[in-house]
Amino acid sequence: MHIAVIFGDNIGTQLLSGIFSWDFLQFVVLLLSAFGFVMTSAVLLILAERKVMAWMQDRYGPIHTGPWGLLQTVADVGKLLLKEDVHATRTDKAVFLIAPAVFLAPVFAAFAVIPFSPYVSFPGTALATGIVYYVAMSSIDVVGVVMAGWSSNNKYSLIGGLRSAAQMISYELPLVLALVGVVMLTSVLTNSGIGTISIRDMVNYQSSSLWPGKGIGFFDFVFEGFTPWAWFFLIQPLMLIIYYTCGLAETNRSPFDLPEAESELVAGYLTEYSGMRWGLFFLGEYGNMTIVSAIATYLFLGGWSGPGVAFLTGLHNPGWGFLGNILALAYFAVKVYALCFVFIWVRSTLPRLRADQLMQFAWLILIPITLGNILVTGLIYLIVNALGLPTIIFLIVAAVINWAALIGFVWVVRRATVATTMRAQAPAIRARQRVAAAQLPEQAGVGGGQ
Amino acid sequence: MVTSRDTSANTHFAQAPEGLTTQEMVLNMGPQHPSTHGVLRLVLTLEGETVVECTPVIGYLHRGIEKILENRPVMGGIRYMDNADYLSPMLNETAYVGAVEQVMGIETPRRAQYIRLLVGELQRIASHLVGIGTYLLDLGAFTPVLWCFRDREGILSLFEALGGSRFNVNYMRVGGVLHDFPKGWLAECEAFLDTFEKHMDELETLITGNEIFEARTQGVGYIDPQQAIAYGLTGPMLRASGVNWDLRVNRPYMAYREIKVNPQVRQEGDCYARYKVRIQEIYESIRLCKVVLDQLPAGPISVRVPVALRPVRGETYFAIESSKGELGVYFISDGSEYPWRAKLRGPSFVNLQLLPELLRGHKMSDTVAIMGSFDLVLGEVDR
Repeated sequence: MHIAVIFGDNIGTQLLSGIFSWDFLQFVVLLLSAFGFVMTSAVLLILAERKVMAWMQDRYGPIHTGPWGLLQTVADVGKLLLKEDVHATRTDKAVFLIAPAVFLAPVFAAFAVIPFSPYVSFPGTALATGIVYYVAMSSIDVVGVVMAGWSSNNKYSLIGGLRSAAQMISYELPLVLALVGVVMLTSVLTNSGIGTISIRDMVNYQSSSLWPGKGIGFFDFVFEGFTPWAWFFLIQPLMLIIYYTCGLAETNRSPFDLPEAESELVAGYLTEYSGMRWGLFFLGEYGNMTIVSAIATYLFLGGWSGPGVAFLTGLHNPGWGFLGNILALAYFAVKVYALCFVFIWVRSTLPRLRADQLMQFAWLILIPITLGNILVTGLIYLIVNALGLPTIIFLIVAAVINWAALIGFVWVVRRATVATTMRAQAPAIRARQRVAAAQLPEQAGVGGGQ
Repeated sequence: MVTSRDTSANTHFAQAPEGLTTQEMVLNMGPQHPSTHGVLRLVLTLEGETVVECTPVIGYLHRGIEKILENRPVMGGIRYMDNADYLSPMLNETAYVGAVEQVMGIETPRRAQYIRLLVGELQRIASHLVGIGTYLLDLGAFTPVLWCFRDREGILSLFEALGGSRFNVNYMRVGGVLHDFPKGWLAECEAFLDTFEKHMDELETLITGNEIFEARTQGVGYIDPQQAIAYGLTGPMLRASGVNWDLRVNRPYMAYREIKVNPQVRQEGDCYARYKVRIQEIYESIRLCKVVLDQLPAGPISVRVPVALRPVRGETYFAIESSKGELGVYFISDGSEYPWRAKLRGPSFVNLQLLPELLRGHKMSDTVAIMGSFDLVLGEVDR
């Protein structure tokens, strides 16, 4: 009744015109391709993880399913789809069923602001607040994890879910603060003094600047729009490290995989899940990996820029432009998967932290350092500005200080580890002195012998 | 003697703010759990993530090995010893046949003693490799376990060439060993030891200097030397607490009377020290193996004993330094073909006693860190 009053008779017409509009069609196509990209990426990453880890661990990995085991993940997904959807008794059913979707949806949603090349992207990439949107989406993940942990009616799940809530919220802060440093750099680079948090603009700042202009053909081809010396990771390397570390924690990857710590919590919040619901969590995790790597690529590694991209797209010829876009996609993929490789590398190398050490690391080391970085970057800018020096001086000073901070960071982390260890060892050390005084070992009359 | 320093440090957990009540949670860890090393069950009472109380429940892998030994002829019982501590069958067999030889007063030929030492040290390496690998897996590192198992595979292949079986070797006999080395075995063993030493250096590079590993293990699960002695700990656990006690040195048996062992002792008494003692023992075992390969005497590998072996009436206790500690066999013979009683003193079983005491006050994540450093084998705890 009310609806009819509001919309009148033409509600059907409005809906139909909405559905059959060009925008809607574009939206559907892009949504499907985003879905396809996340799925393919996740499937590739799962396979890559198994193969790369196998290589590092001196074994074969999957070899029987398809040539070189390439179809292993496909077979796994098929198996997961066919499995029975098991619910434990007395689970909070509605929450239990919806949790995987709550976990996976933000991962897809975050892809809306991800541009793949100068022209291939979703409409969402025009969003001026790209980074904030990404951060917001990645924060929603934790809700799905907590829901899964709470509703499973399992103590391991509960502990896993709560650990995860604490962890993801703690690491959200340094993650955002690390990005703020980069955003401040962009505000310095513009003439207007107003920075950007649009991902596309971020990439442009790193690729279009600092190449003097046309000259020798070959160098133009390579270096137009490809200026690795302007990539932000050279100016703020420490922030890249911290962002990446927080990314590891955000995606619950080793060494921060406490929520699903296999050896303690069986499978953490995933314990009671099976079949495709478990698979959705799994896909979400790998999708998250892709996004974290993609954002790091945009903000620190120049996005899709590489030799030839800007030159070819700048020719204003459909054929060359197409080739340029393909090249851009390839560069982007290479950079993203190189970072994903580091994820896998880290996983096969490092043991897991303890929950309290994890918190300590975030609150006592990462957050002060990222806050300090913001302060120092701002101060340098003000000083350089007050002295009337050019922007390049600012960049060089900021870079030098950040590289020094990186070395200091490594030193601090080492020292902090040693300090906490020494404190924990104090009783052992005291006892050692006691033993030395009493000459205990000689009286060690362990019963038995022959 | 039993300290309560850990519990006192965590009492503030119990004091909730006004109007809020906290509840302790009972968590059944095991018997089906990825890191209880078999089928140990721990009933943990948790306050938040802090362990308040821990009760180990054992017996899920009880197969009545001691009873089976009473119902088998002496020679037939050797094979069942393999299943006690299933990670070091060679050493188990040595303990059993050693006890029988002691009650019968048999002195085995020198070559047999050397062979026993060689395979025993190889077995110790294999057992420590599993201990270290699974320990690191408990701490969340995935790679070391596979590297360890790769090298253990080499040892198992050597055993297969020697006794025909990789795992339940059934190689020791009363009076000696089953076979002499097949052709080329010694060269193969030497080649293995050389590559293995390189692999060990690699493994150490991966693990030992790692800050996360050190942060997880150093100062965690500290065992006082007095506490260690009071609870009857043996093996790497005892030596990691600074007590210099190794049966191979202090009560030398068989070839250890001639070949000197450097006992590996560390003073820290924490999980890191226990890991480190195992690593050092592996290097020491490699050295011992190489010494044996150099000095291997010629001669018979076994004395002649009757097929239907009837040990003389009597009783004895014979203990060896197994990979986990003192593995003793109390052997009573009534003069018949069957042992009247064969009681095993398993190191894992005795070491396990300390676990509840040690876990109290630690975080739940430390539960696995501490339990893993014990290197328990449930096959021997439950027997």
